[in-house]
Amino acid sequence: MALIEIENLSVTYRSKGRSVTAVESVSLGVEARQSFGLVGESGSGKSTILRAICGLAPVTGGTIRIGGDLVPTPRGRAFSARVQMVFQDPYASLHPRHTLDRTLSEPLAIHGIGQTDARVMQALDDVGLPQSFRFRYPHQLSGGQRQRVAIARALMLRPEILLLDEPTSALDASVQAETLNLLNRLRTERGLTFLMVSHDLAVIDHMCDRILVMQNGRAVEELSRQDLASAKMKTDYARSLFSASADRMLEP
Amino acid sequence: MTLLSVRNLKVSFDTETGVVEAVRGVSFDLGRERLGIVGESGSGKTMTGRSVLRLIRPPGRIEADEMRFDGVDLMGASETQMRALRGRRIAMVMQDPKYSLNPVMKVGAQLMEGLRQRDGLTRAAAHIKAVEALEAVQIRDPERVMLAYPHELSGGMGQRVMIAMMLIPNPDLLIADEPTSALDVTVQAEVLAILDGLVRDRGMGLIFISHDLRLVARFCDRVLVMYRGKIVEELAARDLLHARHPYTQGLLNCLPRIGGPRQPLPGLDRSADWAV
Ligand SMILES: Nc1ncnc2c1ncn2[C@@H]1O[C@H](COP(=O)(O)OP(=O)(O)OP(=O)(O)O)[C@@H](O)[C@H]1O
Ligand SMILES: Nc1ncnc2c1ncn2[C@@H]1O[C@H](COP(=O)(O)OP(=O)(O)OP(=O)(O)O)[C@@H](O)[C@H]1O
Ligand SMILES: [Mg+2]
Ligand SMILES: [Mg+2]
Repeated sequence: MALIEIENLSVTYRSKGRSVTAVESVSLGVEARQSFGLVGESGSGKSTILRAICGLAPVTGGTIRIGGDLVPTPRGRAFSARVQMVFQDPYASLHPRHTLDRTLSEPLAIHGIGQTDARVMQALDDVGLPQSFRFRYPHQLSGGQRQRVAIARALMLRPEILLLDEPTSALDASVQAETLNLLNRLRTERGLTFLMVSHDLAVIDHMCDRILVMQNGRAVEELSRQDLASAKMKTDYARSLFSASADRMLEP
Repeated sequence: MTLLSVRNLKVSFDTETGVVEAVRGVSFDLGRERLGIVGESGSGKTMTGRSVLRLIRPPGRIEADEMRFDGVDLMGASETQMRALRGRRIAMVMQDPKYSLNPVMKVGAQLMEGLRQRDGLTRAAAHIKAVEALEAVQIRDPERVMLAYPHELSGGMGQRVMIAMMLIPNPDLLIADEPTSALDVTVQAEVLAILDGLVRDRGMGLIFISHDLRLVARFCDRVLVMYRGKIVEELAARDLLHARHPYTQGLLNCLPRIGGPRQPLPGLDRSADWAV
């Protein structure tokens, strides 16, 4: 049994008589300790799937199970101790008037966890931010620095599952490498499970065991890492993504 | 022909813990070409771009020996003159698109605002132009997106709406800060083709800020490499992937590759001479 099991998930956003079906009958399973990648067209519903898992999207069909149980609504504290999400948009997801210290210590306070100081310093260290940044506000950081704060915050509660939405697209090559290395190290050491979205097939290839390709709200094709690296895709759309990533292949 | 020239640009912030020097003496010229700016996070790329529009909020300060755009002295220009330049002649696609869109105004109204006020188009004509602009950036359902609020867009859709909006007034200079970081590779290729066309056919100048070294190498003409507020290397884009500077080489070495090994990725050695 997979740790994350999504069956026939559909999500439709409705407002004032308009409706948008963002996800249409998508199924996927992520085994414990596996890293699963979502790739595909911009607007195809990748972020919506992650948000649906967290109870942040209007699910209109299908089921989401974690560890065999249907996720509760509302998700509640036990869920957030177990599943954490890093949002695509680091600007919107950080409170503009909270210092990094407050952003990072708040989850601890909510869950009644002590040793705040030590844990905040450790978190800054883990994502490669200097400790002198501790009392800065988000607007005093560059784009990549904010993204690292968002990752640090998701790690504060030591979750078992991380939902990562474009975790490194705002990061330069060196910080991306450090962040991916950190995520992989944590996955091994703490037995984490990842469901991650990225547009960079090289990042997906480096991080993921299985990959789901999406287009226009639907799952187009599921691939193993081997299928990806050896160009064994069956659909035209997956192949077009691969061909347009020619600059990211290992030189023969 | 030089469209923009920048000499010894400095940006600093007074903070409680002292002065942060975000940009430390940057000089470059831009013609009707695609100039890439790369460099690690926090190296001053965004602040360099924003300085050209004099969009640095206090306590930030801009200093420069010269900053000139098409004959206009940007350092000496009044705030009124700057407002007349911004958007119309110099446009900037911000790194965070949703943050720069008005959250309580529909996308269509935002796209049409300039067309109606600046260009005096009728509602119907502005609507047609706006939909065309969305179609050009590969938005699947432009009529729906016209009626959507920014929070109803995906990350990459927000980015494309921003690009569409900035291109509508036909600027002479476009500063694009990570404009395609949220786009999948096929949509990205279409958006880059639009930018490319504007540089080639209309002679627009483009400053293309990006972390994606491989993208910059194939898309731009020339590249500035920044590190801690300074330009450490300037080279032709086609040479970027074979850069000589150890910092640029270091950045390139950090990149994962499709089919590459699963070992930890190499980091950047910050103990070297260039790092001080
Ligand atoms: N709150 C909302 N209200 C209405 N529509 C929405 C809302 N959020 C997302 N959508 C729509 O759902 C679709 C899927 O969006 P989603 O953010 O999941 O795409 P994505 O695959 O993550 O794209 P990207 O790669 O560009 O981030 C889009 O058409 C988007 O406009
Ligand atoms: N208001 C501020 N107060 C203090 N420091 C600031 C402020 N705004 C930016 N900085 C600092 O200025 C430096 C340059 O920032 P800038 O946003 O230009 O970086 P960048 O190269 O665009 O990075 P990224 O690739 O992560 O977006 C960073 O170290 C940042 O922390
Ligand atoms: Mg998304
Ligand atoms: Mg920036």
